[in-house]
Amino acid sequence: MSKKVLLVDDSTTTLMMEEMILKQRTAYECVTAKDGLDAISRAVVEAPDLVLMDVVMPRMNGFEACKRMRLEGSLRETPIILVTTRGEEEYVEAGFQSGCNDYITKPIDSFELVTLLHSYLGE
Amino acid sequence: MSNISDSPAELESQSSTQDIGSQAKVYAARMRLQNAVDQADALDAVREIAANLIGTEEVAVFKVDKKRSELWLYWSFGVDPNKHSVLEVSREPKLKQVLGGKAVYRLRLSNENLLSTDDPVSALVPILVDGGTCAVIVMFRLFPHKPGIEPVDREICEVLSNCAGRAIEPYHSR
Repeated sequence: MSKKVLLVDDSTTTLMMEEMILKQRTAYECVTAKDGLDAISRAVVEAPDLVLMDVVMPRMNGFEACKRMRLEGSLRETPIILVTTRGEEEYVEAGFQSGCNDYITKPIDSFELVTLLHSYLGE
Repeated sequence: MSNISDSPAELESQSSTQDIGSQAKVYAARMRLQNAVDQADALDAVREIAANLIGTEEVAVFKVDKKRSELWLYWSFGVDPNKHSVLEVSREPKLKQVLGGKAVYRLRLSNENLLSTDDPVSALVPILVDGGTCAVIVMFRLFPHKPGIEPVDREICEVLSNCAGRAIEPYHSR
């Protein structure tokens, strides 16, 4: 059975790009959510093998959604990768404190994305 | 994470993945602009594309006046509108090229700014409607980790140039 990745972003442009890259370069199944709140409910239902989530989103940002996912028993161990526009140390630190496993900066580099996901999910 | 690969197969795989990434960005930009439901959504698409695909959260759209001597700030995101309310074509040589329909990009490692402003300008992209430049997208500072405008960014800017007309002319059919 293929691994499932939950893509979370309020930008349809980003979701479309991420999905296209993953569909062409991996065998992962993609499901999407448009903000942090939506992501939590989708994650509980879909039980993804990995969550790739933007930080700045309406209703609930990526840090908060990450913290809440860690409180859900079924999502405690799910790898969460945050997508940030900023690579500064303090910003990255805030991401790790929220419980994420890794981060990647925008604009997304497709090779970096695929390599990172392979490192968590295998090829 | 290292991007260094040794074997030809790994290099080919990396190159192929980069190509697909570039295609995905250009496709996503085009689809987002073509599916914009109204003018506000088209402007939001410009912001989204600049931030998520190119790498800047400082972007402005200037509309060309009828005499084509000045450009007036029409919309902006992440920039001080009072600081950049009008651009005079006579004082901005690069703008003449942009009004001719050709985008201008700041070269990597270049100290030359594209406009006579304190803020670094990374790209000037004409918005074309019926073959003429009706507005110009100005992209200011790139994200700190972004080294400069890359070939794929130029392709995305070309899409902006050809498909962002609705951001300026609400009834433009794209």
